[in-house]
Amino acid sequence: MKLDTSGFETSMPTIGFGSSNDMLDGFSTVPSFDLPRTTDFDGFQKEAVQMVKPAKGTTTLAFIFKEGVMVAADSRASMGGYISSQSVKKIIEINPYMLGTMAGGAADCQFWHRNLGIKCRLHELANKRRISVSGASKLLANMLYSYRGMGLSVGTMIAGWDETGPGLYYVDNEGGRLKGDRFSVGSGSPYAYGVLDSGYKFDMSVEEASELARRSIYHATFRDGASGGVASVYHVGSNGWTKLSGDDVGELHYHYYPVPPAIAEQVMEEAAAE
Amino acid sequence: MSIFEYNGSAVVAMVGKNCFAIASDRRLGVQLQTIATDFQRISKIHDRVFIALSGLATDVQTLYQRLVFRHKLYQLREERDMKPETFASLVSAILYEKRFGPYLCQPVIAGLGEDDKPFICTMDSIGAKELAKDFVVSGTASESLYGACEAMYKPDMEAEELFETISQALLSSVDRDCLSGWGGHVYVVTPTEIKERILKGRMD
Repeated sequence: MKLDTSGFETSMPTIGFGSSNDMLDGFSTVPSFDLPRTTDFDGFQKEAVQMVKPAKGTTTLAFIFKEGVMVAADSRASMGGYISSQSVKKIIEINPYMLGTMAGGAADCQFWHRNLGIKCRLHELANKRRISVSGASKLLANMLYSYRGMGLSVGTMIAGWDETGPGLYYVDNEGGRLKGDRFSVGSGSPYAYGVLDSGYKFDMSVEEASELARRSIYHATFRDGASGGVASVYHVGSNGWTKLSGDDVGELHYHYYPVPPAIAEQVMEEAAAE
Repeated sequence: MSIFEYNGSAVVAMVGKNCFAIASDRRLGVQLQTIATDFQRISKIHDRVFIALSGLATDVQTLYQRLVFRHKLYQLREERDMKPETFASLVSAILYEKRFGPYLCQPVIAGLGEDDKPFICTMDSIGAKELAKDFVVSGTASESLYGACEAMYKPDMEAEELFETISQALLSSVDRDCLSGWGGHVYVVTPTEIKERILKGRMD
């Protein structure tokens, strides 16, 4: 049985002049991309980086507690000041027992999470056992490290449940990888941390933890202009992940802070149909 | 982000049948962070002239104070209120005085002139007047506002229908802008009354 060493390879992407990579055999090595044919490569790179300006306008959070891992995110995509979408899926399902969160460039996060899912599945097939959260996050971190400085924008958390119990890692486009109990990523993260840190206890039930996660995301969407839309909350337990709720934060605001009904001095009544 | 997008704002004014409506959002932010959700952008100059200023919040407040001062002087000298057209010329002149160090705001002026004819206009930050017969917009959400107003506007609307139209246009436009929203403030002015309303909007 050949040991799968694809995770250890850190070779730079090969320059493929003319030769197109067959998608089927591209997964045993780091995926390689054709480089642009231009006289000023550095200038082109700089412009490309500026275009995908890593603003990380979002709020995502995840924390470990007694019953597993709670993962939550907003759903707004913004381009500078313009809101391009209020319904982006920022919690990516890598496989039935592992979730990844998206912060930074949407295309980057979607592609690399899918790529990670493929690598995890190949690991399962080669080794007849599921990959650990530690191993999966290491695979992702190494892949991102080999693209360091090329303008990728990825600030993700890998949350899952493996043989050692719940696992949570933060991985970013610099190639950094941190193990921890509580993380929040994105422009709204300071606001989310404020609510999360003051309400956190290890011994929480699933309902309490999901309410804490939802409240943290809601407060971040209130204060941060680049976060909003729908607050999605997922729970990762020993049987895998389940989606707990997806509440529109516009409605959540009036749920938490209802407007006292004004006393109407004159009530308009429907005119009787004539 | 440019200096005009530092605080974030959305302002719109619309003309109806012998009435006008002027509306703004209520957010005050510092780039992406929201500081307040009850910022006053629309100010009354007198019962028949309103001005709403979008842009840098400090200049919004200072310019408003200067304009109120100039209008009070005018009232003392002429013993009457300014016509909206005259007020617009005054604002334009004050803005151009600072041509090489401008106030970083874009005003929207709305008023009822002679014979209760509604008047609206907008200006850029150095006083270029733009008169319109239907609606004017200003602020970070201005492009969305143009689209929404163009689609929803009809001429000669009565006060209640005008209120509905301007509110829907404002709320749907600020829902596409990160830097404005968090509620709405609408004034509907007819020859007999001024109706001020706060809109319940998305707080994200």
